[in-house]
Amino acid sequence: MSADVALSSEQRIGVLKRLPLPASRRAYAALFALFAVSLCALPSFVSGYVMTLAVEAMIAGVFASGINLLTGYTGLVSLGQAMFLGFGGYGIAIGTALLGWPLWISAPVTLVVVAAIAAPIGAICTRTRGVEFLLITLAFSQMFYGAAIKLRWTNGSDGMTGIPRPDLSLLGVSADNPTVFYYYVLAVAVLSLLMLWRIVTSPFGSVLVGIRENERRMMSMGYSVANYKIGSFALAAVICAVAGILQSQYTYFVNPDAMSWQMSGEGVLMVIIGGANVVLGPFVGATVFVVVKQALSMITEEYNLFFGIFFMLVVALFRGGVLGFISTLIGKRQ
Amino acid sequence: MQPFLIQLLNGVQLSMLVFLLAVGLTLIFGLMNILNLAHGAFFTMGAYFGLVVANSTGSFWLALLIGPLLPFVAGFALQFFVLQPLAQRGRSTHLDLALLTFGLLFATAGAVEHVFGSAFHSIVTPDLLKGRVGLLGMEYPIYRLFIIAVGIAIGVALVLVIDRTRVGATLRAGVDNREMVTALGININMLFALVFGFGSALAGFAGVVSAPVMSIYSSMGIGIVVTTFVVVVVGGLGNLKGSFYASLIVGMTDTFAQAYVPEAELFAIYILLIAVMIFRPQGLFGAVGRIA
Repeated sequence: MSADVALSSEQRIGVLKRLPLPASRRAYAALFALFAVSLCALPSFVSGYVMTLAVEAMIAGVFASGINLLTGYTGLVSLGQAMFLGFGGYGIAIGTALLGWPLWISAPVTLVVVAAIAAPIGAICTRTRGVEFLLITLAFSQMFYGAAIKLRWTNGSDGMTGIPRPDLSLLGVSADNPTVFYYYVLAVAVLSLLMLWRIVTSPFGSVLVGIRENERRMMSMGYSVANYKIGSFALAAVICAVAGILQSQYTYFVNPDAMSWQMSGEGVLMVIIGGANVVLGPFVGATVFVVVKQALSMITEEYNLFFGIFFMLVVALFRGGVLGFISTLIGKRQ
Repeated sequence: MQPFLIQLLNGVQLSMLVFLLAVGLTLIFGLMNILNLAHGAFFTMGAYFGLVVANSTGSFWLALLIGPLLPFVAGFALQFFVLQPLAQRGRSTHLDLALLTFGLLFATAGAVEHVFGSAFHSIVTPDLLKGRVGLLGMEYPIYRLFIIAVGIAIGVALVLVIDRTRVGATLRAGVDNREMVTALGININMLFALVFGFGSALAGFAGVVSAPVMSIYSSMGIGIVVTTFVVVVVGGLGNLKGSFYASLIVGMTDTFAQAYVPEAELFAIYILLIAVMIFRPQGLFGAVGRIA
């Protein structure tokens, strides 16, 4: 509310200019609708293999969206978001397997707990900025990664199995069916996307963009920059945890690898490929990433080698990502 | 008492190894403002190149001498041909460069695995440094003492070079005011690339030195580089002396956690880092950081 008033009209235009596809909102909406329709229709005309990839891409897309809120909108590059992916997976695993709670209690409790853990972590991490922020988020995730390997009641490095998918017997279907699970993931992904869209178009989101563009000015305008950053950090963590829940349901298990350093890096890579600070960007990036990863695994066993090279090329040559690229094309034409 | 002393020495030995890595990382950051996440890659590179040299010549000393050359060349080339041009074209921020080196870290691990496989290797301890020596009524491996001595020697040498020589003065001037140094007719790009290469060579040197006590494997650099990050952040990014003290603190914490609180071994140093971050975000020995 107050944010709306405090941003001068000039600044708001400045903020809007940085939003994707200026002056072509309708094209953007049409693109989005086309995307949504084709995603809904997908299972009826593709093989199970393509659907598997689509599920993986959507889960990765939710994960990358969480990173995007922090990295693309708030300008804080984190290399530790995989810890929240792990928290999501471990959260429902602990809730359902160890505490015996049903999934519909475990999942929301997990998200609340993640937010409660992420807030103090965010409070510590956001005391730094730039590369120091990157390093401390990395350290936090390594710490939880180490803890997950050591903890005996979560089976250490073996992880936990038997994570339940949602019980959809009320609708007369079983989520163990790949097509049903696909729609479940699609629904959650769309909901996360809408929530993210709501966040970034809100006054709160404008303040985050303001922090990214000029933190000192936001401070002198009277915003409690620290609290906004912590809020962004916690929200991003919750979105990543949603992806973690989906991921663990998809594979039926969770292990410490979900929190690895490389996982965080992959998420950041997806955000860069898709173009940071575009709401749909992470999904595009995730799709490109999942497809490239699949293609690579078919032609080579040296995944790390090509992952690294791919990463370097994207960072060096592909600033702004796929959507950023399209956006500049459209911008030029207008 | 004796186990405690042995742990103490092991801690110092680990500290010195980490210091060899941290000093290059912090030097590069202080001078060029580049966070080189690929620093661990040079550690791996040095170890494997040393391994190749040791296997073909049978001499540890040649490996120690020649091993760091490859990381030197690679580091020099990375800065001179990739990072510097990217930064100069203004297309990339320092964070982008950090992410680029993140990719390089994994690419190197993958490339090494492709060439050498995923087996564990080791370099044999040289005859001169084999065996144990009596020390305060206990036996301690000579080689570990050698690592401690090397670490201290390099630390002292670096402080002398940076504080007392013309090269050091140029470096310090480069940190303070890049434009002015360029105006004085110094090819700062070349200087920076050389420092980058030197830092990388130190990491590679650490790789060879550690080979007789630790295993050589393809992702060895990925593990140790995170410990190194903790050291440079605790010591204050860009602070040379800080990284020496921080190496000792982190090395000790890690060693004693492993010895006495094994449950915490994988995360003791991170708790240390978080504690430092809460009370002194600029690092224990860092100056008050610039803001926004």
